Amino acid sequence: MGPEFVKTVCPYCGSGCGLILMVRDGKVVGTYPDRFHPVSRGALCIKGWTAKEFIHHPDRLTAPLLKSGGRFKEISWDEAIGHMNERFDRTIAQYGAQAVGGLCSARCTNEENYLFQKLIRLGFGSNNVDHCARLCHGPTVAAMGRALGSGAMTNSIADFDGTECILAIGSNAAETFPVPMGELYRARERGARLIVVDPRTTEMAKNADSHLPLRPGTDIPLLNGMMSHILKCGLADQEYIDRRTEGFDQLVAYLKGWSPERAAEICGVAPDLIRQTAEIYARSRSAMVLFCMGITQHVCGTSNVFAVCDLALLCGHVGKDHSGICPLRGQCNVQGACDMGGLPAVLPGYQQVADIQKRNRFEAQWGAALPQTPGQTVTAAMAANDRQIRSVYVMGENPVMSDPNRSHTIEFLKNLDFLVVQDIFHTDTTRLADLVLPAACFAEKDGTFTNTERRVQLLRKAVDPPGQALDDYTILCRVARARGLDFTYADPSEVMDEIASLAPLYGGIRYGRLGSEGLQWPCPDYDHPGTPVLHREQFSRGQALFVVPEYSPPKEMPDERYPLVLITGRMFCHYHTGTMTRRSPFLDRETDRPFVEVHPRDASCRGICNGDAIRVTTRRGAIVTAARVTDRVGEGMIFASFHFSEAPADALTNDALDPISNVPEFKACAAEIVREAACPDH
Amino acid sequence: MLDTVRKIAKGLLGQGTMDGVLGLAVGDGGVSPRLFEDPGDLGSLSLASKWPLAKIAVTVLGQCPDAYRLAVVCRGCDERALIELGKRNRIDTRRLHVIGVACSGEQAERCLCQQPWPSRVDAGVRAQGADLSGNDQVRQYLDSDRGVRLEKWREAFSRCIKCYGCRNACPVCNCSPCRLEDGLWVNRGEIAPDMFSFHLTRAMHVADACVACGACQDACPVGIPLMLLQLPMRAELHRSYQYEAGTESERHSPLLSNYIDEPAGGISIPDWTDSLRKNHGS
Amino acid sequence: MTVHSDPGIVQNRRDSEHGPKILVFACRWCAGIGADGAGRQRLPLPADFRVIAVECASRIDPDTVLKSFSEGVDGVAILGCHLDGCRYNRANHATAKRMALLSTLLESVGIGADRLLTSFGTAHEGHQFADLMRRFYERLQGMPQQCRFETDPQAVSGGGVDHA
Repeated sequence: MGPEFVKTVCPYCGSGCGLILMVRDGKVVGTYPDRFHPVSRGALCIKGWTAKEFIHHPDRLTAPLLKSGGRFKEISWDEAIGHMNERFDRTIAQYGAQAVGGLCSARCTNEENYLFQKLIRLGFGSNNVDHCARLCHGPTVAAMGRALGSGAMTNSIADFDGTECILAIGSNAAETFPVPMGELYRARERGARLIVVDPRTTEMAKNADSHLPLRPGTDIPLLNGMMSHILKCGLADQEYIDRRTEGFDQLVAYLKGWSPERAAEICGVAPDLIRQTAEIYARSRSAMVLFCMGITQHVCGTSNVFAVCDLALLCGHVGKDHSGICPLRGQCNVQGACDMGGLPAVLPGYQQVADIQKRNRFEAQWGAALPQTPGQTVTAAMAANDRQIRSVYVMGENPVMSDPNRSHTIEFLKNLDFLVVQDIFHTDTTRLADLVLPAACFAEKDGTFTNTERRVQLLRKAVDPPGQALDDYTILCRVARARGLDFTYADPSEVMDEIASLAPLYGGIRYGRLGSEGLQWPCPDYDHPGTPVLHREQFSRGQALFVVPEYSPPKEMPDERYPLVLITGRMFCHYHTGTMTRRSPFLDRETDRPFVEVHPRDASCRGICNGDAIRVTTRRGAIVTAARVTDRVGEGMIFASFHFSEAPADALTNDALDPISNVPEFKACAAEIVREAACPDH
Repeated sequence: MLDTVRKIAKGLLGQGTMDGVLGLAVGDGGVSPRLFEDPGDLGSLSLASKWPLAKIAVTVLGQCPDAYRLAVVCRGCDERALIELGKRNRIDTRRLHVIGVACSGEQAERCLCQQPWPSRVDAGVRAQGADLSGNDQVRQYLDSDRGVRLEKWREAFSRCIKCYGCRNACPVCNCSPCRLEDGLWVNRGEIAPDMFSFHLTRAMHVADACVACGACQDACPVGIPLMLLQLPMRAELHRSYQYEAGTESERHSPLLSNYIDEPAGGISIPDWTDSLRKNHGS
Repeated sequence: MTVHSDPGIVQNRRDSEHGPKILVFACRWCAGIGADGAGRQRLPLPADFRVIAVECASRIDPDTVLKSFSEGVDGVAILGCHLDGCRYNRANHATAKRMALLSTLLESVGIGADRLLTSFGTAHEGHQFADLMRRFYERLQGMPQQCRFETDPQAVSGGGVDHA
């Protein structure tokens, strides 16, 4: 018998590229792009092409592991599930349901995330469910939710082709969204102007028509400078503002105090460039503003997003073809994990926990009472570290590597009475767990992912998980049933049917309808074709709201002791905490050692040459890594990617949080570097 | 046309002449490659627009036992790629059977293909090859003056995100180890990779085996016109040696033989001896 | 493409004193003798050129030539024995063919076929070698300077610094 071909979705970023797996004898032996996929159209990035490399890796977890005497020993599933339920029950009995928390996963399917939050809410009686969107686009969901009524990308990726202007703020799409970056380049070839706002000179910035290298954490001043100029020149779309928005007067009053000159003083971009950029954006007949972590990962991240929305609304560039606001969601299913209510204050479909009517509907369907108080966010809980939360269930997350202030995170997790972690590989987080459950990866289960343009797509199971590992859907159902909950589903499609009945955004989603292109929500009913562009006639909240942004500079500014700004982020050949990509030989060969980008002047005055070992220190900790001397970073700033567990960038990052959405300030803190040793290759 | 192919496939499988037929299938997930092994199960066979299968055929053959005989639904470029691979001992062409499908004129235009048909056409009708003279991209990238060309190509290569898609998709590309993965030749850990050591090196490596299937270009997420990179060299091989990759299963690349066995321009030892006087014998 | 450079890093900027950089691969039988001869006779040779001796010109493949350009060399010369006279069973034919094809690529991309000089049997005497170098140098002077992709052997900087 020859090999088979299975169509599925790439497990890495939020582009949701189509992936075809070649399967033989229970193993994935090849990956191919899907030529007819609506987003990827026959292309893949370096990670997509090598997505099979980690699947059958010998490090895969294959049996439940219980920590005893400081070591892990294999136990059976029944024992494991019995044990974890017993430990959770003990916590609830002693400290109440609010002492239990769970982290669901931006890497798991919609069905799994739905079941996870249902388990935590119904089974444990707690609303303390969160996931890593807290670390990335939490501000987007909060701000766009408030301003527009919906926190998701307003247009589709295909909409870039045909727009006149693309304003990219705080995004390095060429490395973090490689395939859609091709769409941006295609748009440019057809005449779109690409403007990149980023302190670093990335590839995207080099290939743009214009690059605004602003100082880290000064986005609101820049945007205010632009908006004040647009108002002054009469370039605002007054007809659109009158017809479709409210709150304009407050914005006008606020912007009176702003000008390109004042903006320039703070953000370091020349006033004329600010004016020019504003005019290009405002004058374009269509314009897409896209943004990513550079906007959200600041203490004023939510306000940053408000400012982006204000700019777009001011110029009437939302709710039309080729005009919109585009947050790029970085994980294969972070959009879905949010949609499924993996958040402390919302139920599936962004229905507020505090809304009695909505809660009643869920209670009626699920057949039991639900906790009424919204839960804690994971970052706030960790920052408080006050032992209010005592037992935690982590599914597909690696907070020790991804959350800020690593030593603090480790302390929080060590202080727990009970920690169970469900993952496909050992990670820095599983090593702290009391119980580890072996899970299935993307190629080993059916389910759906929702990409950044709200496209719900089908995963198809290609191979079985290794050893005794089970897919998260199966694990969650077994844990729930052991608690007496009725989690009986024939297969994941039935879970989606249930989701559709409760979350209007997903109302018309059925596996039978997803076919080759999936469906973009909102898809309220069975006949609805899905929604490529949001807010066409009305915004989700009716009128869009101008919200005055509140600017705060980065919590920790450079000073004498720590004179450099540390920016953390990603690179093209590795993915997030590296659990999958560091185990993929092709990708790890591409970059197998951690590095920190240092500007040549900063390097030379410290006697640092390219490749030298350096110690990077912040108030939270220190790492030893290699210096990459480059002018990609500006003078006075350094850049570290967080993929390398041997030199984890999050040992350095600040857990200062945005007060509204609790996102940590990954993009700015104060650091110093010191040469440790010569480059080992010399 | 689809029925013809189905009939042929059914016959091959039913009579046991072939163990499998590699083609495209349409399923609930859309179109995807499929290895058909049951003669009664050809209902989902599809001839959806272009999907080069040569590279997949190589992997399929590698995955199957040695005695496995594979039929492949081939367009002209697929067949030419398989012939080149056979010449280089990457596959055993005796295990292969080509079901030849001719491409339409429109497809030929899209692919800039001069010979949109396989050596034996089992289904479809031979269409006219593409006319490159009016092609805009060809003009911009190949016909304008040197400085303009260089700028266009540099700009194109500066978009490269190092996905390796061009190399992964290319049917005649399968060296192991691959020089493009060698850290001494190509810098690791950064994009865009250097034009010379990555793109031009790759272009030279496949220069005499390129069958102009366009799989490289189709796999490029950022729209680098990779087919245009190979075009002048293919034309040169044709002009000097009357050689076109994939068209002659018994003739190896002329680059592998000396001027006596494979003369350039019909002259066994060129009279030029340095390229300053006469430009590289062309 | 916007250009980003810092005077501290870009060490290979051409000033008016330095001419084009030439890298010569010479086979030790014919061309190598010519190169030696030119040196011994103290014939005028361009300032910025280096000779790498190889056993046979066929040792050099297009990858090496391309890598040389990547490193900022302006012109590459491959010198071998006369096409009738290769010690290694007409291996220089392979070289000639490969380099002819490479020159097609270099020309079509806009780098210029004349940055690649091939000579088989025209440089086996000192004065021939010197003359060839002189003519190559003059040809290159009229062309834009090649830029080194990386300015430091291990410098890692994204994208190219392009002065072409």
